[in-house]
Amino acid sequence: MLRSENPTRPTTIEELLSSDLIAKISQLDVSSKKIFAGKLQGERRSKKRGESVEFADHRPYTAGDDLRHIDWNIYARLDRFFMKLFMEEEDLSLHIVIDASASSDCGEPNKFYYMQQVAMAMGYIGLVNLNRVEVTAVGLRDELVIPGGEKSIAGNIRDLRGRRRTHDLARFLCTIEPEGGTDFAQACKRIAMTRRGKGVMIVLSDFLMKEGYETGLRMLVGRGYDVFAIQTLSPQEVNPDIAGDLQLRDIEDGDMAEVTISAPLLKKYKENVSAYCQGFRDFCARREITALTIQTDTPIDTLLLDYLRKRGVLR
Amino acid sequence: MTWATPTLAALVAAIAIPALIILYFLKLRRIPREVSSTLLWKKAIQDLQANAPFQRLRKNLLLFLQLIILSLIILALAQPRSASTTEMGRKYIVMIDRSASMAAVDGQETLGKDSRLEAAKKQAIELIETMREPSMFSQGERADEAMIIVFDANAQILAPLTANQATLIAAINSIEQTDAPSSIAQAYRLAQAQRPNRIVNATNELGEITESHELDELKGGEPYFFHLFSDGRISDIDSVRAEEIDSTTTFEYHALGSQTSNNIGLVALRSERDYDTPSKLSIFVGVQSTDTIPRTVDAELLVAGVTRSVRAIDLPAATTDATTGYKTPASGGVVFELDEPEGVIIRVRLDTNGRENPQADVLLTDNEGVLIVPPAKQASVALVSTGNLFVASALKGFPLSRFDVLTPSKYEAGRTNGDNDVYDLVILDGYLPKTDELGSVLDPGRYLVIGQTLTGELGVIDHGTGPGGPIIDWRRTHPILRDLTLDALLMAETPKVEIPKGSGVVSLAETASGPAILETSSGDVRAILVPFAITKTNWPFDVSFVVFLASTVDYLATGSVVAIDEDERQITPGSVLSDRLPPDATAVRIILPDGSRSEEIIPSADGRIVYGPVQTAGIYRLRWRGTAAPTDITDEGTNFRIFAANLLNPAESNVSTQRTIALANKIVTADSLTERKRIKDWWPYFLGAALAILMFEWYIYNKKMFL
Repeated sequence: MLRSENPTRPTTIEELLSSDLIAKISQLDVSSKKIFAGKLQGERRSKKRGESVEFADHRPYTAGDDLRHIDWNIYARLDRFFMKLFMEEEDLSLHIVIDASASSDCGEPNKFYYMQQVAMAMGYIGLVNLNRVEVTAVGLRDELVIPGGEKSIAGNIRDLRGRRRTHDLARFLCTIEPEGGTDFAQACKRIAMTRRGKGVMIVLSDFLMKEGYETGLRMLVGRGYDVFAIQTLSPQEVNPDIAGDLQLRDIEDGDMAEVTISAPLLKKYKENVSAYCQGFRDFCARREITALTIQTDTPIDTLLLDYLRKRGVLR
Repeated sequence: MTWATPTLAALVAAIAIPALIILYFLKLRRIPREVSSTLLWKKAIQDLQANAPFQRLRKNLLLFLQLIILSLIILALAQPRSASTTEMGRKYIVMIDRSASMAAVDGQETLGKDSRLEAAKKQAIELIETMREPSMFSQGERADEAMIIVFDANAQILAPLTANQATLIAAINSIEQTDAPSSIAQAYRLAQAQRPNRIVNATNELGEITESHELDELKGGEPYFFHLFSDGRISDIDSVRAEEIDSTTTFEYHALGSQTSNNIGLVALRSERDYDTPSKLSIFVGVQSTDTIPRTVDAELLVAGVTRSVRAIDLPAATTDATTGYKTPASGGVVFELDEPEGVIIRVRLDTNGRENPQADVLLTDNEGVLIVPPAKQASVALVSTGNLFVASALKGFPLSRFDVLTPSKYEAGRTNGDNDVYDLVILDGYLPKTDELGSVLDPGRYLVIGQTLTGELGVIDHGTGPGGPIIDWRRTHPILRDLTLDALLMAETPKVEIPKGSGVVSLAETASGPAILETSSGDVRAILVPFAITKTNWPFDVSFVVFLASTVDYLATGSVVAIDEDERQITPGSVLSDRLPPDATAVRIILPDGSRSEEIIPSADGRIVYGPVQTAGIYRLRWRGTAAPTDITDEGTNFRIFAANLLNPAESNVSTQRTIALANKIVTADSLTERKRIKDWWPYFLGAALAILMFEWYIYNKKMFL
């Protein structure tokens, strides 16, 4: 909950993604409840009739159809034109949104480091499965980070595909510094406007936003994206270990809360945390967002191999 | 409610209250901590506040409590007082009557519980407690002061003007009952002596002061507020003046006791020996009753402590004045006849049932009287005469133990050889002894000097004789002249004598030319002087001559007529016991009625001793070592002389309380103390409340810490 005194700032890919973890997750693939269409033909079978080698169906010819796909064998037999329809193989966009506001830089283990690790692992899975991987860091900055972008976007890397782009992804993740506030709604609006194709979107944040996460998440839903929201909380946020007369200062907006830690207050706080998380999950469930609350002391491999697989994010 | 030091409190409030609030702003230094989000914390605090209805109040409860504590302390600093109307400190003169009638046990509603004096003390203490105390910060400035004066026949300042209530209350508590009658004049003078006389300036037409003189009667300076605690039975109450200050009179009268109280008391006690048989003793007892129903009381006569006789006295009902409600006492009496040749102490006691039933008799101290009766004695008389038939023949008929007619030469011889000491009375008829070597004409003794003018130190100035005439005035109360009339006495020639200024000679009867019968006394000499010649008057043929001689013999020689106001052995409480002892008297002490001994009394050069004023009724024994007079009791070198102090005062025995008293310039009605406004200091209560709230705050604080 408190700002980490010496937060881990990964500088190498090894710190973000250990070789043990690579071994464990290399068999995984990003899954989608829908079969998504993509710009490039990937390794993925699409429900969309396409131009893959795999036959799907026939349909009568209409004027204007590509003559190359006329099934001449049927014409010979029936003297009528039928079009051959093939299963189209499409690529999948994996869009990872990571919260790079100052509030992420808290807790023990550090929330942001944890989110970096998750993003790296997920991105790796996407890359090795030839998905189109895009990572957007959300955080309010004083200046534009991306030219022509938005102040609420703290960084973006897109169109990564293939194992060899792993280092690019790691480098990008290492450069993001958690600082400033968030304008989650604005950032999500921007993300929704600029994203292309269809795929899976993973939002990594603590979702402790005074202005609310609802508007932002609502914007991300739809447009062909399957949204996963992973609420990352530090163990201290769930179970505070502070005591005494404190002046709590919000790390993002400097807002003060004077508290005298007492048993009823802690009880109330815990009730609030669980209610808040439950509210978050309920909200997500209503909007077909798969939500997951995770504490940063949960091992990454448990998260990936257990929780996310169970929820169908990975398979 | 008023405030003794409001400015101080305002000043403190102006500093302390903002200071407290500022301090409260700086209250608790919380440890700052940066957290990811205060969202949930704020929500938790809000929820907690929403759940506890007084949370918002409780947040500031400590401040409120502190403000209340501070306010209380500040209010205490202002020294709030209730029921105080005057700005300036007053000077109270508390005069408490401790005379005999104040011993009546009707001080309270319930008879027999408290005496009037006890009630007066309680009321006076209440009055003292209502006094404005000196405030803590302006010491003595506006405090009330009081002086305690206690009086009976005399007055005494028990506490001078002071604001110290403890001193005043201690002084009041130290007051003891006496059996003396009451007189307020001295008490009033004592109080007023502290104040300056008022100075009256005489001015001329231009308004310039031409003359200024002090007036003793009118006092200036700060007014004194008199509070008299008494039953109103004060004979000289009209010597007190009341002033009007701001339409309040400076004299308040707090009446003690009840107007309807009944009392039966001895008011007269007298013994007289029979003229012919002196061993026959008559005791006259006078009793007064203020009971409105007829009463019968027993009078008990004790001789030397042994009951000799008990007689019933019937007392009629006292009458009540319908308009004023005052009672006119009824009186009755009894005469005891005894055969008692010896000198005895006689005690008379009334059994009025008062001890068992205070309703019947509220004052017990006047139920007893003591009489000291000298032994029956027949006088031994010498007549030194050149031959006067009238005197000698008259004296021969008297019951005298010894009667000698001496010639002047024989008398002169007896002076030198001491033969004359056997005579109680020497009658010098037309003869004056020679002046001895010390310059005195009369040796120590009692004399009746007839037909000669005694001059010199003891005597008068002789101016020869004047024209004849009657006696125009005489002292009708004097024991010698009491029983006779001198109307018939005519003189052929009257003596022209003049009493020297400053001498002890008293005129008993006067003619137009001057004194005709005189009494002189000095030291051991006492004489009745009759300067005119009997033979040149018609007196020997009048019965009054024989009565005069008999009274003179009684008066000078035997002293068998003993009445309270005549014998110096009988004193009243409140008066001074004075006597003359032989010059060699040492270790002089007085044994008081309660058996205790007085301090040693040092007699003056001529043997005179003074003790007192005596406070209680009873027997006082004067005790000394040395030579004794013939009438004194001697026991192994210690001599005793006995004095009796009796109340015997009809005014004191009439105990019905006077509701109104007439001062010199005003009639004052008794004021009931219950209406008095009590000045009460409230600051201790404020401080106490502050302490209590402080404890409460501590409790709340602890409670909050473990919330």
